[in-house]
Amino acid sequence: MYTALPILALSLFDQDVNDRWSFQYPQLYSPGQLNLYFSKKAFVRCMLHSAYSSLILFFIPWAAMHDTVRDDGKDIADYQSFALLAQTSLLVVVNTQLCLDTYYWTAVNQFFVWGSLAAYFAITFTMYSNGMFLIFTSSFPFMGTARNSLNQPNVWLTIFLSTLLCILPVVAIRFILLQIRPTINDKVRHKVRKEALPAPTPHRKPARRISTRKSGYAFSHSEGFGELVTSRRFLLKRPLKSRPVLFATTESPLAQNQPQHYRTITEEQDPSV
Amino acid sequence: MMASSYSAKDEDGHITVTGPGGAALRSKKPENTAFKQQRLPAWQPILTAGTVLPAFFIIGLIFIPIGIGLFVTSNNIREFEIDYTGVDESSPCFNCSQNFSWNSTQPCTCSIPFSLEQSYENNVFMYYGLSNFYQNHRRYVKSRDDSQLNGHLGSLKPSKECEPYAKHENKPIAPCGAIANSMFNDTLELFYNDPNGTKILIPLRATGIAWWTDKHVKFGNPGDGLNLTAEFQGTTKPVNWRKPVYELDSDPLNNGFINEDFIVWMRTAALPTFRKLYRIISRKDNMVPTLLRGNYTLEVVYNYPVRSFEGRKRMILSTISWMGGKNPFLGIAYITVGSVCFFLGVVLLLIHHKYGNRNNSADISN
Repeated sequence: MYTALPILALSLFDQDVNDRWSFQYPQLYSPGQLNLYFSKKAFVRCMLHSAYSSLILFFIPWAAMHDTVRDDGKDIADYQSFALLAQTSLLVVVNTQLCLDTYYWTAVNQFFVWGSLAAYFAITFTMYSNGMFLIFTSSFPFMGTARNSLNQPNVWLTIFLSTLLCILPVVAIRFILLQIRPTINDKVRHKVRKEALPAPTPHRKPARRISTRKSGYAFSHSEGFGELVTSRRFLLKRPLKSRPVLFATTESPLAQNQPQHYRTITEEQDPSV
Repeated sequence: MMASSYSAKDEDGHITVTGPGGAALRSKKPENTAFKQQRLPAWQPILTAGTVLPAFFIIGLIFIPIGIGLFVTSNNIREFEIDYTGVDESSPCFNCSQNFSWNSTQPCTCSIPFSLEQSYENNVFMYYGLSNFYQNHRRYVKSRDDSQLNGHLGSLKPSKECEPYAKHENKPIAPCGAIANSMFNDTLELFYNDPNGTKILIPLRATGIAWWTDKHVKFGNPGDGLNLTAEFQGTTKPVNWRKPVYELDSDPLNNGFINEDFIVWMRTAALPTFRKLYRIISRKDNMVPTLLRGNYTLEVVYNYPVRSFEGRKRMILSTISWMGGKNPFLGIAYITVGSVCFFLGVVLLLIHHKYGNRNNSADISN
């Protein structure tokens, strides 16, 4: 519950750029077609990142709790406090990583992220309270742990340290890649910040379908009709009819199946297919 | 022949399509609201040099002073540790450790001299430490009955988790379980060797060593806690204990399940090398240090066997600060991370300076 809802919000609401910019730059869809986000390379990268994070999230609390006591001399290196420390560090790291990955912060995203952190602390303190222990004794043995360990400054310093150790390498690597090898998404996002929104395309007259050829641009992960379309075989031989060449209305959410006038797509074979 | 259909918009945005037969069919297009078309107002941050580089420098500049503060605080804490397991033949406790037997009537005592190089001020805390003792073993951690320890002796049937330490000679064990059975039962006493030869016993306080929530909420004696011998009638002591639970201390506020040494032991440690608070040496007043520098003697009543599993026992004297005991790790870690962060900030600045213009100048081509 603490980690699932924010990711759900991310997957539902996140977007690189909005739909008008996506129409302007259809190259944005090419990473999806080239399977860049679901390749083995991406998976290995993910695995390495999570292995590194797990090592940090265990060994930093371990080293910090080794032979440590509270500021009034009593124990803090017990099993329950250690578990709470590791879990809190984990929650903070996951939510911070999510904040880094979210490029489109709607109100719903904000609510889910801050809400899940708040819910975690609320539920933890409730589960570890006197009342729950006295009613369901054997189910809530962690009574008192949150109160006694989360008021220690060195616990919070440990949480802060493990969060930063997990997040900073990610930020550094992303920044370096942004500078050295910006992807199309990055370039368009950069343009978005600089320039104004492209003008909304004018209203289209009612649909007179010339062809019912489906365009597989947005969601294809395998070779779609890209080759066919970019080979220009269909463009030249017929005389240009006066058919409505203007774009679909802004009200209509789906890209209609009209051959559309794009900018010239220079055919460069991307080696990393 | 074209499909004879046209779209008409309702007030609420639903697009109704009239099919060939004239019947109104609801179109499957999603509504044109901001929520469903992903047009919600949003903040769109990107990683620019203007945010990332200052962030790295600021984090570096914050971490290094915090690290230095932590390290200096940790260095100012005074700690003294002495291992009294008796592994070496030359150790005073060697005989006790060799001749250990479970049902000996005469407790074995040994006496270890040591000296403190510096005087200890403010409250001094005395810990016992064990090594290679896995209190975090899963079956061991589960082997307790929390409702029995809370004072509900109930139907005199301890929880199943306590097996095989639940009953002995057909009587339920109070407190049951492996954790209680293996309670640490050495007695440690501290003597100061005066320069003119007398041995002064140092007063050790045995209360105030357990968590308040443990002592007052989690653990409780059955009944009203006054006549404990009668309350525990029908139960028997754990197998490894020499005294039953209602004879742990003469003070009625520290007897039975709320005995603080027992509570401290029952809070299982997370790591195989751990220390637990044993006694507190309260400070006398601000003028006189609590423990003067000089020679001391530690008198041990050696009851707890650790040689069989290659464990070690030690006694630790330590002062305390706002960050707890002596642990230089956090200080060193903060200093290291701060410096690495600062250095990384410099490296990123160089990279941005050299390559940073690829974002805006490059054509957006495939």
